[in-house]
Amino acid sequence: MNTFFASRPRRIAGLVVLAVVLVLAPLVSSPYINYQLSSIAVFAVAILGLNIVMGYTGQVSLGQSAFLGLGAYIAAYGVLHDWPPVLSLVLCAVIPAVVGMLVALAAARLRGLALAMITLALPIVGVPLARRLTDLTGGSQGRVVSWLRAPEATGLANDQWRYYVVVVIAVVAFALAHNLVRGRIGRSFAIVKENEAVALSMGVSPYRTKVLAFTIASLLGGVSGFMYLAVVQYTSPETLTFFTSINLVAAMVIGGSASIVGTALGAAYYVLVPVLAGQVNSSRTALISGAILLAVLFLLPAGLVSLPRRLASLLRRRPQPAAGAPTPDDATHRAPASSTATTE
Amino acid sequence: MSYFIQVVVDGLSNGAIYAAIALAIVLVFRATGLVNFAQGGMAVAATFVAFALTRAGVPVLLALIAAVVFGFVLGGVLERVVMRHFEGGDPDTAVVATIALLVLLTGLSALFFGYEPHPFPSLFPNRTIGFLGAFVSLRSIGTIAVLLVIMAALQLLFRYTKLGLAMRAVADNPQSSALSGLPVSRLLMIGWGLAAALGAIAGVLVAPQLFISPGMLDFVLVYALAAAILGGLDSPVGAVVAAAFIGVVENLAGAYLDFIGDDLKIAVPFVAVIVILIVRPQGLFGRKVTVRV
Repeated sequence: MNTFFASRPRRIAGLVVLAVVLVLAPLVSSPYINYQLSSIAVFAVAILGLNIVMGYTGQVSLGQSAFLGLGAYIAAYGVLHDWPPVLSLVLCAVIPAVVGMLVALAAARLRGLALAMITLALPIVGVPLARRLTDLTGGSQGRVVSWLRAPEATGLANDQWRYYVVVVIAVVAFALAHNLVRGRIGRSFAIVKENEAVALSMGVSPYRTKVLAFTIASLLGGVSGFMYLAVVQYTSPETLTFFTSINLVAAMVIGGSASIVGTALGAAYYVLVPVLAGQVNSSRTALISGAILLAVLFLLPAGLVSLPRRLASLLRRRPQPAAGAPTPDDATHRAPASSTATTE
Repeated sequence: MSYFIQVVVDGLSNGAIYAAIALAIVLVFRATGLVNFAQGGMAVAATFVAFALTRAGVPVLLALIAAVVFGFVLGGVLERVVMRHFEGGDPDTAVVATIALLVLLTGLSALFFGYEPHPFPSLFPNRTIGFLGAFVSLRSIGTIAVLLVIMAALQLLFRYTKLGLAMRAVADNPQSSALSGLPVSRLLMIGWGLAAALGAIAGVLVAPQLFISPGMLDFVLVYALAAAILGGLDSPVGAVVAAAFIGVVENLAGAYLDFIGDDLKIAVPFVAVIVILIVRPQGLFGRKVTVRV
């Protein structure tokens, strides 16, 4: 991602530090902090799915919240019927993936806004449907559950146990996604995003690639729904509203489109900015969030992930200010190429 | 039969509101090639100006005109100050910038007027007239009439005026337009200004029914997006036809299909839109775009 982590030993050291922090954090934090950290893990997986279909493959999706909600409802149904959590997790991955694939099979022929429309319809139709299917979903009240209590033997509090559950799932999801986007499939995503005609001439079917990207995105959305229920212990039709989808898209772009690290940063942004804005002034949350969002877009059009690079270029430019001012766009456009070069 | 007519006219009246916002979306899309999520936020902000004026005793019609002027200036300023920065960059970033504007404008409206809904005086007399045995409110008829006038004006603007031709050229290819001497940046400002002015009209028309609040148009925005995309995004007539279709289908389904009812009626037009788009990806009235390597 940037020059500091370019060398292998440094990268490994960075990952070890990250692992230690992830393991120790819940032991020294309050339940409230653990809740926020767990929420970041939840939305990181949802945004990861969105990033795969939008950031890497270039296909607009305004429906990610529908898969998050679907996963949460499946998990809640499982709790009600005493399924083992592992079975719930598997179904939370498989069912949304199948739904997403069916939608994509019909929609992936479409481009741009027609595709946006179909994905947008998912939460729009999903919310009243969730209200209506009371037997399955608990209707407008939603479902309150109490599950994933910490096993006695671990000696952990519930919030710590749940943190470990969701963080383990998130780490696995990120590791898999990281390998996916670096490999053959990731390259086919990139070429489909770049130019479908070229992809076709290289023997990559844009249609199949898009369906695959959508299926993976829906799968990750469903898994994040499982995690959501694990952390929040409650789901309602509000979970899948259209505005959640829109905010997830915003968080993805803020973090960094087509970037794994950016996905995690976007999730932190998604969870923390409303909390911080609420602490500054609880009745001005929207105003402050909007201002921060706009400010980040102005300063870092390539997302939070470009912050180190942007700082470096600012420092480099200081000796001769005003001179010809190379645009920030140049730096951000060059960057993806150089980052893939260093990791291969 | 009379109930049927009433349901259809109510649907058309809802459709007219969706259509007004959809037209604004089409306008910005034609001028800038962007889907503007801030459309609802700009419309609400302008409607709040009208609200403040009516509360101070200004007649509704004058307040509407003031809101339209305010909307035009607001749209132009936002384009110049905010959106200009994102032109030519990643379109995803630009669209998220419009989301940021939506959040910001909602927050600003709430800052001055709070989140709770306020009543808003109607532009049209609050009466109903008999029409083929049905009772139709003057508000519905007025809303539909205003909308039809706007649609015709936009169609004329794009088809028969130099300004409209220039705006179409800029949307199609900004570089070539600039090379042929068109003032691209000013045209983009005008496009945003017109869209926001249109939103102001829609806001003032719908506010008596929905009560004015910062989130008043959040849901309308979703319908309007659906209408704009179904209509083909570059066709004002298409957007209006699609919006009317959505409004009427939704109302009919809610009234006549028992298992749909009031809560699930929104699903019907959206499912219909999905089916239509899969059959006709370019929308009802859109032109097919050929993509070259």
